[in-house]
Amino acid sequence: MHPNKLGWLLLAPTMLILFLFGVVPFFYVIWVSFHQWNPFAADPSMIFNWASNYRQLVFDAQFMASLGVTLAFVFFAVLSELVIGYLLAQAFMKDFPGKAFFRTIHTLPLIMAPIIVGSIWKLMTTPSIGIIPSLLDSWFGYNLNIGQSAMAAFITTVVMDIWHWTPLVTLSLIAALVSLPADPFEQAQIDGANKRQIFWHITLPMIRPAIIATVFIRLMDAMRTVDEVLMLTGGGPGSATRYVGVHIFKEVFPRTNYGYGSAISVIVLYLTIVVCWLLYVGLIAPRNTKKG
Amino acid sequence: MKRSNPWLMVLFWVIISFLTLFPIYWLFVISVKPAVDLFSTPDIWLTKVYWQNYIDVLNDRTLRGYMMNSLIISSGNAVLCTTLGFLTCYALSRFNLPGKESIFFWTITNRMAPPAVFLLPMYLLLTQVYRVGDFALADTRIGMILVYCTFNLPFAIWTLRPTLDGIPRELDEAAYVDGASPLRVIVEVVFPLARPGLAVTLILTWVFAWNEYLLAATLTNFNARTLTTGLSEYVTTTGTEWGIMAAISVFTLIPALIVFSLVQRHIVTGLTFGAVKG
Amino acid sequence: MSFISKLGVSVIALAVSATAVSAESSNAAFWAEAGKAYQGVTLHGVTESTPPSNYVKDVLAPEFEKLTGIRVDIETTSWDQMYDKAIKDMEAGTGIYDMVYIEQDIIYAYLSRNFLVDTTQLLKDNPALKAPTYDEANFTTFANYFRGENGDLFGIPMEAFIKVYLYRTDLFNDPEVQAAFKEKTGRDLKPATTHAEYTEIAEFFTQWGKDHGGDLWGTTAQAHTGHAASWYEYFESIAPTFGVYNWGIDANNNYAATVANGGQMNSDAAKAAMKYWLHLRDIAPPESVQSTWTEVATTFAAGRAAQGLVYGENAAWIASDESKSRVVGKVGVAMPPMEAGVMADAESGKGYVGYYDGGAFGLPITSKNKEAAMLFLQFIAQDEVQADWALAGSRITNNATYDDPKVQELDAKLNGYFTMLRDQGKLFAGAPPYPFHAQLREATAPIFYQILTGAIDPDKGLDMMAEKSEEELKALGYRK
Repeated sequence: MHPNKLGWLLLAPTMLILFLFGVVPFFYVIWVSFHQWNPFAADPSMIFNWASNYRQLVFDAQFMASLGVTLAFVFFAVLSELVIGYLLAQAFMKDFPGKAFFRTIHTLPLIMAPIIVGSIWKLMTTPSIGIIPSLLDSWFGYNLNIGQSAMAAFITTVVMDIWHWTPLVTLSLIAALVSLPADPFEQAQIDGANKRQIFWHITLPMIRPAIIATVFIRLMDAMRTVDEVLMLTGGGPGSATRYVGVHIFKEVFPRTNYGYGSAISVIVLYLTIVVCWLLYVGLIAPRNTKKG
Repeated sequence: MKRSNPWLMVLFWVIISFLTLFPIYWLFVISVKPAVDLFSTPDIWLTKVYWQNYIDVLNDRTLRGYMMNSLIISSGNAVLCTTLGFLTCYALSRFNLPGKESIFFWTITNRMAPPAVFLLPMYLLLTQVYRVGDFALADTRIGMILVYCTFNLPFAIWTLRPTLDGIPRELDEAAYVDGASPLRVIVEVVFPLARPGLAVTLILTWVFAWNEYLLAATLTNFNARTLTTGLSEYVTTTGTEWGIMAAISVFTLIPALIVFSLVQRHIVTGLTFGAVKG
Repeated sequence: MSFISKLGVSVIALAVSATAVSAESSNAAFWAEAGKAYQGVTLHGVTESTPPSNYVKDVLAPEFEKLTGIRVDIETTSWDQMYDKAIKDMEAGTGIYDMVYIEQDIIYAYLSRNFLVDTTQLLKDNPALKAPTYDEANFTTFANYFRGENGDLFGIPMEAFIKVYLYRTDLFNDPEVQAAFKEKTGRDLKPATTHAEYTEIAEFFTQWGKDHGGDLWGTTAQAHTGHAASWYEYFESIAPTFGVYNWGIDANNNYAATVANGGQMNSDAAKAAMKYWLHLRDIAPPESVQSTWTEVATTFAAGRAAQGLVYGENAAWIASDESKSRVVGKVGVAMPPMEAGVMADAESGKGYVGYYDGGAFGLPITSKNKEAAMLFLQFIAQDEVQADWALAGSRITNNATYDDPKVQELDAKLNGYFTMLRDQGKLFAGAPPYPFHAQLREATAPIFYQILTGAIDPDKGLDMMAEKSEEELKALGYRK
C-alpha cells in the first residue's frame, strides 16, 4: 500500500465530518451575510444587497466597542490562565501527599456548564445579596457593584473565566510535562544550569507546541464566550461586557437581524483566523517543518 | 536541585483548593436554600439545610431522561472525537501529505465560529437536508454527537498533535521493519505512548460536550434534550428556580466526577520515562 | 351563622363540582369520538416553562390523552429559547410544532408573517371538530388581543395577568410607622395614587430601613443594566402612567418617535418619567441594578421592599405560597400610581395605566396535525378546566372562572387581585400592536442601559433613543 494513501484514509472521516457540519454551514452564513434579512421587517424576504452589511460594519461604533472590550477580555483572561495554569502544572510535577486528590479538586470547575457558572457567579456577585460584595464590603469597605460599575463587571467576567478555565490549561500542560524525556534535564543539571536557564532553554521550547495549542483553544473559546456572560451581566452594565459573542447573540436571537448578524460573524471569524494564523506561522509551523 | 517541603506543597494546594472550591461550595449553599432566603444579607456558613430542591429533582423523571441523553451524547462524542483526532494526528505526524499543515490549521478554524449565527444553518441542515426519508438528524442523539464534532474534533486534533509529534518515529519504523501492519503499529506501539494525551483529550472533549448549551437548546426538542437545556427550564418569567437549578448542577457533578476519576489515572501513569523536576 | 354560611358554601361547591362532573361525562363521548380519526398522532407544543404552561403539560395534556387517545408532548423551555425555536420552525416551515406559545407582544409579528392558523375559520370549515363546550364568547376581553383584522381568533388564550402595585399591609398598618410617616410628611400613610406620593412613601421607608437596621427599602425597581426587563418596566409600566403610551411611538403618524416628528418618546413627560424612575431605582434595594422581573418578585417576597410594581403572575405566590415567600398575608394590591389625566385617558380607551400581560396557544400554519391540535386547543379553553388551572398558575382567561368558589377563595387571600383583574383589567393594556416589537427594543436597549449606568444623561439618552427608533423603523421598512 502506498503510504500516503493510508494517510489520506486516516484523514478522510475527520475531513468529511468537518466538511458536512463546519464548511457547509459556513458557506450558508457567508451567503446570508450578503443579504438584508430580518424576518420581521416590512419585507421579510432575503434581499441581496452586495457587501453593504460589511460596509455598515466598519462604521458601527457599537460593534467596534464590542470588539474592543472582547480583545481586552481575551487578553487578560487568557494570559492569566496561561501563567497560573503553567505554575500549577509545574506544582503538580512534584511529589506530595494527596496529589491525586488535589488534582481532582482542581479540575472541578471544568465540569460545570457555562450557564451554571454564570448563574453561580451572578448570585455570588449581585450587590447587597451576593457573598463577594458582602465580604469585600466588610473586609475592605469596598463596594463591588457589577450592575453599575463597568470596571467591576469587566473584572468579574475575567475572574470568572480564570476560575472556570485555568484547569484546562493546567491539565493540558501536565500532559505535556509528563511526556517530556528526562535526559536533557539531567544533562543540563550536570552542566550546572540554574532553574531559570532550564526553564527558558529546555522546558519552554519543549512544551511550546502544547502551550500554543492550549493558548489557541482558550483564545478562540474566549472570543466566542456567550452563555456565562449572558447569565452574569447580560452584557451590561451598559455595553461594558457586551463581548462579540453576546453582541452577535443579541443581534440574531431577539433582534432576528440575520443578515447583519451573519456579516458580523464572518468578520469575527476572519479576525480570529488571522490572529491565530499569524501566531501559528510565527510560532508552530517552523518547528513542525524543521522536524520534517 | 532544591527539594521543596512536601507539606509546604500541601499547604499551597489547600489554599488553591479553597479558591477553587468556594464557588462550588456556594452552589451547594444555593441548592439547600429556598429562593427567598437568597435575597438577604448573605451568611457564609450554612445554618439550616433545606432539602426540598433535591427531592424535587429526584422525583423528576424527565430530568433522568436528560441525564441519560447527556451521558450518551458526551461519551459518544468524546470517544468519536478522540479516536478520529488520534488517527488524524497520526496521519499528519507520520505521513508526508501535501498541504498537511494547511489541513491541520483548517481543522481548528471550525472551532472559531461564533456559535449564535451558525445555529440557523445547523438547524436547516439537521431538519431538512441531512435526512433519509422521515429520519432527520435533528433531535437525535447521533445528530448531536456529530454536531459536537465541529468544536470537539478540532480540539482533539490540536491537543493530540504535540503528543504524537513527541513520540519518536523510530519506534514505529522499527515495528514496521519487524513486519507489523499499520493497524498493529497504531494500536500496539503508538497508542500506549500517547495515553496521557489521549486521556486529557478524552476528558476535555467529554467536558465540552457535557457542558454545551446553545446548540443543544436549538437542535433538540423532545428526544435528545440534554441536562444543560433542562436547566434553562428553570429560568422563567415567574421566577428563576435558583435552588433547583443548583441542585441539578450538583447532580451533574457526580457523573462528571466518575468519568474524571476513571480517566485521570492515565494522565500520569501513561509514560514511564518520567516526570520533570523543576 | 358561621356554620350555615359554611354549609352554604360547601353546597354551592358540591353543586358546581357535580355539574362539572356531569358535563364532563356527557362530553367524554364527544372527545372519544373526535379523537378516533387521530389515533397514533402525537401533538408537539413549545412554551415557556411557567406554572400555567407546566399545568398544561402535567395535567391537561394527560387528561386530553385519556379522553381522546391523542398524545400531547409539550416542550417547556426558557423565554428566549421558546421564541427562537418557534420562529425557526415556522420560518423554515419544518412543522415540528403543532402548538406554539404566543406572548401577547409577539402576536402582531406572527400575524404579519401569516404564521398562524385562523382558528375561527378552521372550526367553521370543520364543524365536526367543534367541541360543544368550546365557545369564543367564554373568553375575557383579553382574547381580543389575539384576533386578526377580520376579527377571527388566531390564538387560544391561556394566561393573563396585570402588573400591579403591591404594598406591605403589615407596614402600612403599623401604628408606629403610621405615626412616624404622619409626623414626617403631614399626611396619612396609605397606598399612593400619584407619583409624588409614591416617591414620598418610598423615600420614607428607605430611610426607615436605614434607621431601624432592617433590610428594608421603599420600592422595587426592575432596573437590570443588561437585560430587556428594565426597558419593559420603563416603557410598559412607568411611561404610560405619565401619559406616554405605545412606547411614545405614533403608529398613525408614520411611526414617529421624536417630538420633532410628532412622537412622544423624548417628550417632557417621557423625560419626567425617566427621572422619576431613576430616582426610585436609587432608593430601591441595591440588587435592583441586576434585577429582572424574577428578582423583583423575589426581592418583594423576601420582604425587602415596602411597595413596588410586580407582575401579576408573581403576585399570587408572593401573597400565598409560604414555601417561597416571607410576606404571605401581608400583601396589599392597588392600582399603579399615575399622573392626573391618565385615568381619564384609560377610561376613554385613549391610554392605559399599566401592563396587561399574557399569552395564548397558536396553531402554526406549518403544523401537520392541525385538526387534532385544534381539538386540544378547544379542550384547554373549556370553562370546566379553568378553575384548577387558575389556582395552579394564578391566571384567568375565561369570564366564568371569576365566579368559581375556589378562585374566589384565592382572591380573598390575594387581597382582591382577581377582582382587580376583572373590574379594572380593561384599564391596562398589552404591548402595542407592533410587528417589530423585539427588533425595536433591541435596537434601542443599548442606549437605554447606558442611561441606567449614568454614562448618558437621561434627557439626551431619550433623544438618542427616539432618533434610533426612527432610524431602525426606516431600516426595517415600516417608517417611510
